[in-house]
Amino acid sequence: MWLIRDSVFIGILQASPLILAAMGFTLIFYLNGFINFAYGESITYGAYFAAMFNVMFGFGFYLSIVPAALLAGALSVATYFLFFQPALKRGVRSTELIILSIGVSFMLRYGLVLFVGAENIYVDEPPIAYFSFLGVGATNLQLVALVLVLVVVFNLYWVVYRTGFGEVVRGLANNKELAMVSGINPHKVSVSVWFLGGVAGGLSGVFSGVFALANPLMGWNLILITVMVSIVAGVGSVKGALVVSIIAGMLTAAVTLVSKPLYAEVILLSSFIGVLWYRGGRLR
Amino acid sequence: MAYLIFSITLMLVYIGLAQLLHIQFGMLGIPNFGIVGFWGLGMYSVGVLNVQWDFSFIPALILTLLLVALVANGLGRLILKLEGQAMLCATLAFSAIVALLVITEKWLTEGVVGLGTIKYPFDAGAMTEPLYFLILLLIVVGIQLFINKLHVSRLGTLIFSIRDNEELAASLGKDTVKIKLELFTLTCALMGLLGALSAPLNQFLTPNMLVPSVTFAVWIALILGGKEHSMGAVLGVFITFGLFDLLIESYLPVAPEYAVMVPNFKLFLYGAVLVAVLMYRPRGVLGHSAAGARQELP
Repeated sequence: MWLIRDSVFIGILQASPLILAAMGFTLIFYLNGFINFAYGESITYGAYFAAMFNVMFGFGFYLSIVPAALLAGALSVATYFLFFQPALKRGVRSTELIILSIGVSFMLRYGLVLFVGAENIYVDEPPIAYFSFLGVGATNLQLVALVLVLVVVFNLYWVVYRTGFGEVVRGLANNKELAMVSGINPHKVSVSVWFLGGVAGGLSGVFSGVFALANPLMGWNLILITVMVSIVAGVGSVKGALVVSIIAGMLTAAVTLVSKPLYAEVILLSSFIGVLWYRGGRLR
Repeated sequence: MAYLIFSITLMLVYIGLAQLLHIQFGMLGIPNFGIVGFWGLGMYSVGVLNVQWDFSFIPALILTLLLVALVANGLGRLILKLEGQAMLCATLAFSAIVALLVITEKWLTEGVVGLGTIKYPFDAGAMTEPLYFLILLLIVVGIQLFINKLHVSRLGTLIFSIRDNEELAASLGKDTVKIKLELFTLTCALMGLLGALSAPLNQFLTPNMLVPSVTFAVWIALILGGKEHSMGAVLGVFITFGLFDLLIESYLPVAPEYAVMVPNFKLFLYGAVLVAVLMYRPRGVLGHSAAGARQELP
């Protein structure tokens, strides 16, 4: 019983970065139809932008989250215009697009390392307080992260499912010509999706490792499981990404409680291969 | 001198991996992103058999080949029918699993402490390293001859037709699934062989050798050289590994305070070169294969 309680609790607390990353990633994947590994750098840069505003410009901790998320969104749009849109226009196939995204990812990641160094960057965080209820505990930062994630998730959910934006994206992803005939501006929609995706990724980076540090490899460490979650949840399903991220978080917490955290990853990765096999490889 | 021989022997390993990827991706269209998994499995298998269980090198090598072939065959049965992106993710996940298990199974691999020392299979004094280099050279030349032959053979034509239109090839009565599985098993096992031969080269094995950068370095080389050309792999590794790792990293005079940044600069350039090639010359430096079916641009 304690195992279930603790893994649900820890799982939800620790799933925040994954929830955000998967929700943003799945939108871009759905619209353009390829796995964008450079999305990992939206996560990394989000954390670095927050650290920059916090450490260099002396912004308050919570205040630095806002410009960091916006900049991560802008970076995501920039990669779209510089690399992916020209490639998509030329009709480059999905496997080549993925390799391109890995190239972009390398450039961004090691460009960052050349610029700021490979060491961890620590953020001035507010003093840590510890809360405990019903026998389980959490720090104030974890709880703030959870609340912020809930706010972001609610907003993203609302945009995708309640404003008609989701319909527009679906229309564009499935039949571009028909969508354009019905008055959808593909340019505007693509920019919105890449921006929203980047913002979600950036926030995910800020909340990773709640919060404390930024590391050049943090995006790469999260991207594989983000891809997995999006595919298992059904590409394009923001709802599904939310649910599967939480399940993955709980499973990781449960395995970590009884064994080693690395076994949780092995189990997740193996079941991912199993799910792909079971579905016969249909991603969308 | 000893370091130079080590470097060019390691370069041969990369050439071999890129050649095998050429067969898998350039010819068959299987996007194998788990190269480091098969290579690392081979390397650690020889290491464990040799160091932990006192097998001598040749039996360890044979057992390793069987093990990697078995694993590749099992994975192939699961994933080879999937669409490209799904295969890519599954193989990437596979290599991550191998790297994780190497860390967790300390009783077998010594975990992050590292496993060693793996000795060369023979001792020829000062000639040991050069002889070992020659063995790897023979293997690489052998793979290249196999590729050249494959490009002009009937099997090669069938392979290209599977890549371009598998349904059509299957409808003509060819057992495409079987051919794909057999070639995937063979090429992955050879990746494992290259890993096994890398074990004495590295002498001391640690889990951080099994990072995805190995996979990406091979991919970048093949894409750069030309994935469909029979010599693309060789040229690609000469440009990436030869230019960046051998010349710049070893011989370029760099002030010591900047020396730590050189590997990062190299990886940055890898990314930039890959992007430039895919944007402006998607078929790589060599472009089309001289022989075999030609695929029109999509």
